[in-house]
Amino acid sequence: MTAFLLLPTLVLLQRGLSASFLETLRSPAVLDALRVSLWTTGVTVLLTVLAGTPVAYLLARRDFPGRAVLDTLLDLPVVLPPVVAGLGLLLTFGRSGLLGPGLELAGVSLAFSPAAVVLAQLFTAAPFYLRAAKAGFGAVDRDVERAALTDGAGRWQAFRHVTWPLAFPFLLEGLVLTWARALGEFGATILFAGSLQGRTRTITLTIYGALESDLGPALVLSAVMVTFAFAVLLTVRVLAARRAGQ
Amino acid sequence: MMTLPRAAALLAASLLPVAGAASLTVFAASSLTDAFTEIGRTFDARTGHRTTFQFAGSQVLRTQLENGARADVFASANDAQFTPLLGRLIGSRDVFTRNRLTVIARAAPGPVNSLRDLAAPGVRLVLAAPAVPAGEYTRRMLSAVDRAGTYGPAFADRTLKNVVSEESNVRQAALKVSLGEADAAVVYVSDVTPALKRRVRVIALPSRFNQSAAYPVGVLTGSGSPDAARAFVAFLKGREAQGILRRWGFLSP
Repeated sequence: MTAFLLLPTLVLLQRGLSASFLETLRSPAVLDALRVSLWTTGVTVLLTVLAGTPVAYLLARRDFPGRAVLDTLLDLPVVLPPVVAGLGLLLTFGRSGLLGPGLELAGVSLAFSPAAVVLAQLFTAAPFYLRAAKAGFGAVDRDVERAALTDGAGRWQAFRHVTWPLAFPFLLEGLVLTWARALGEFGATILFAGSLQGRTRTITLTIYGALESDLGPALVLSAVMVTFAFAVLLTVRVLAARRAGQ
Repeated sequence: MMTLPRAAALLAASLLPVAGAASLTVFAASSLTDAFTEIGRTFDARTGHRTTFQFAGSQVLRTQLENGARADVFASANDAQFTPLLGRLIGSRDVFTRNRLTVIARAAPGPVNSLRDLAAPGVRLVLAAPAVPAGEYTRRMLSAVDRAGTYGPAFADRTLKNVVSEESNVRQAALKVSLGEADAAVVYVSDVTPALKRRVRVIALPSRFNQSAAYPVGVLTGSGSPDAARAFVAFLKGREAQGILRRWGFLSP
């Protein structure tokens, strides 16, 4: 079992990190892919923190009718096949979709744009942050917050200086997972955003496209992804260990 | 990525042996999807063999074959993805059908009403990627228009600037026009299936610019059932299969 799980990644690393690694890494197709992926996932992570944190906080702290259902619905994209997510996005935000005509009137055309890449990533990856952040806010000792409030801190101050720092390791872990999932997004992106070099063609789309002509970029980018995935998992592990040690 | 379902299919096939019948695996260009599905059913009914197809862009199938995928027959949409395998992995080459290109535009009134409009500013065009046979023929067609100068200077460049997505197979390009997301795409005549015809407008290409796409087929040297594989290729060139191909918009070889 161990060999089975290790061998494919090791082979990818060995084939990818061959003699022409640096040369291929500097090719326009690979550089464009890295650029598109880095900045779209950057925006995705930023939007996730800004829009996801309040939602996670409310879900963790407030009780309201239908909370369990909402909670489950927000988790749904995690288990939804990405290509289903892409179809949903297309039928919602596409030009002929539910919101399409309205968006067109407003001069916004999402399909085939980098914004579509971000939406695809956000839809499939943000739930990872929501889950972790909910757990984080739930784990903060309410007595510590109350103590801060008793000592004269405002609600925002208590959140900013007590709740946020205490929940932070959870939030960070969620963000790292969100970023990793966004970086690996494929099915929803290819359906909703299409594939155009330098614009919507992310790392995974480039790997898929390169398989069709020249294997070089696919191998190099695969090796990059294997290395990256390992670094992410190690980071999450270190974060979790530090949290446990607190 | 695509070998797992195939492996499962092979496994299932090997568990259910039929006396005297061979299990054939045919790798075929995506544009052949409908015609070959029908041809496969007819061929199986006539011979008792069990034919399984894997449809994908010819360039994907070529990569898979080069990396050890097992198949009995390979039908490609162009020579660029076929000839490199000839002699090495494939023993023979037979052209069994031809195809032509056409422009499709979304059904709702849009900016594309003629070939010339492909280069109009603001058009959202989806093409098959250059490595995909349909994408290769499309770019050849654009160059032909360019050389003729019919639609003004740099027609090909202006058209290619309108491309919003390069798809990995021609059916994906057609899908995006039928969903109304792209204004137009260049696909094969055979891609305009009855189902698609209801959802797009077809804009014919002047025949002097059109490209004749020849489809080569061959038996793989590693085939486990070479006789059945050869029988399939022979069947493709016969009257019955040719009739099916023509019904799906293909031309005689």
